[in-house]
Amino acid sequence: MRSLEKYAWVGLVSARSQLAYASEVLSRIIFLLVILYIFLRVWHVAYAETGCTSLAGLTLSQMLWYLMVAESIMLSGPRVTPVVDEEVRTGALAVQLIRPVSYPLYRLSVALGDRLVRFLLSLTAGIVIVLVLVGPIPLSAGGLLCFALSLPLAFVLDFLGYFLIGLAAFWLEDTTGLMLIYSRITMVLGGMLIPLDLFPESIRPALKALPFANIVYGPARLFVHPDSETLVRLLFTQAAAVAGFSILLWAVFMLALRRVHANGG
Amino acid sequence: MLSKSIKYMQLAAAYVRLNLLAQLEYRGAFISQVVSMILNDVIWVIFWCLFFNRFPVLRGWTMSDFLTLWCLSASGFGLSAAVFGNSLQLPVLIARGQLDVWMLYPRALLPHLLLGRMSATAIGDILFGYVVYIAVVHPDLPHFLLFAALSLCVAMVFVGFNIATGSLSFYLGNAEGLAEQLRFALITFSTYPSTLFEGAIKVVLYTLIPAGFISYLPVESLRSLSWQDAALSLAGALAVLAVGVAMFYHGMSRYESGNLVEMRG
Repeated sequence: MRSLEKYAWVGLVSARSQLAYASEVLSRIIFLLVILYIFLRVWHVAYAETGCTSLAGLTLSQMLWYLMVAESIMLSGPRVTPVVDEEVRTGALAVQLIRPVSYPLYRLSVALGDRLVRFLLSLTAGIVIVLVLVGPIPLSAGGLLCFALSLPLAFVLDFLGYFLIGLAAFWLEDTTGLMLIYSRITMVLGGMLIPLDLFPESIRPALKALPFANIVYGPARLFVHPDSETLVRLLFTQAAAVAGFSILLWAVFMLALRRVHANGG
Repeated sequence: MLSKSIKYMQLAAAYVRLNLLAQLEYRGAFISQVVSMILNDVIWVIFWCLFFNRFPVLRGWTMSDFLTLWCLSASGFGLSAAVFGNSLQLPVLIARGQLDVWMLYPRALLPHLLLGRMSATAIGDILFGYVVYIAVVHPDLPHFLLFAALSLCVAMVFVGFNIATGSLSFYLGNAEGLAEQLRFALITFSTYPSTLFEGAIKVVLYTLIPAGFISYLPVESLRSLSWQDAALSLAGALAVLAVGVAMFYHGMSRYESGNLVEMRG
């Protein structure tokens, strides 16, 4: 229990330090505004040219709210890979390892603290922007609760992916390329740019089963179309993906530790 | 004038060679960054293939037009960041007072300073742009030659815009965050057809964020082999570059040295 408290404090300190840089986070508003305006135009034309009032069960307003939530999830991603990469490359990891905390759990606490602040700021800005662009959509307290419950495991899963890429620094000269590819795959296959329901039917089930959908599509879809059955299914697949990634991370971390050599000093 | 231009091109060629050799010192990292950027661009194209599979025409634009747009933007951006990579570093160099070392050379300050760095990922963008255009769009010789000329115009737009946004540091102090956001805005707008946008935004796309000179005029020129649109693309690119250069030299009167002792190899 005391151990959990320790990590909770690490997360809290990280969130507070992130608040000190709120203006940096708020500067992302320009990007959010640009991208949401472009999405509005793209989908406005797509709806007009197909003559449909609803695509994948979403009206144009719901589509923009979905994209706003998905974009906020992606934009709030903390710097995990570059930090782990740097600590591996500079040897600072050796210092981290002698602390009375588990290194992966310490980094997870820091990342979750960062992410909470970044996500709430991006979401708030995004809500203001879509309210101006397309107006409100019906939301309920129960629906928002469903959405909130789907986020923690989504953030943990995203962290595990980026942490694993950071650990690749033990073997690779550079991990920025891998990180770029991973983030692009999460954007496309996770449904950030286009809801997975609009992908060809033949690949849709496979895409929904991938971890990326649990990070972006699942929570964003619950925001606009909440229902308890979808939430339970999502939580189950998220938990399974987190378990699988955690085992992989543990195995890679153990292998990596064999390559750490420290010489006093 | 002609001999000055030839001398500058020789200098640029020498810098490109030296910058490339410096990148190749870390061969693994360099290759990984180039390959990841190509994969990144390919992932975007796959996404748009899926989008056009669902919505075959977007305001008169087909998949082929979209591919042309992506190839032009990628190769233009790649050329600007590979040859004039320091244009991306301008806000930092100005804010930290690091222009001193460049002022000591018997060369025109701005054109020389811009050559000082190469972005490794930019090579991936150039390769992607040219290879995909040749392999997928299958242009005839006039189209290919026009594409090559227009990619230079697009590069000019990126360089001019980077100089202009970087020069904001002369007036605002550290404008690194703002310059980055504006750059993202230009890149984002320039990868969507500008036929999507109407009214006041269209004016913005030919002035404050000059994406129209990347995503509309050059593509229209290639679609109908229009020399008039090609001439307008060139005129727009020259205008953006002229504004950037004017802002830089006007801002130089406000420049303060950082009193840093620096050496360049």
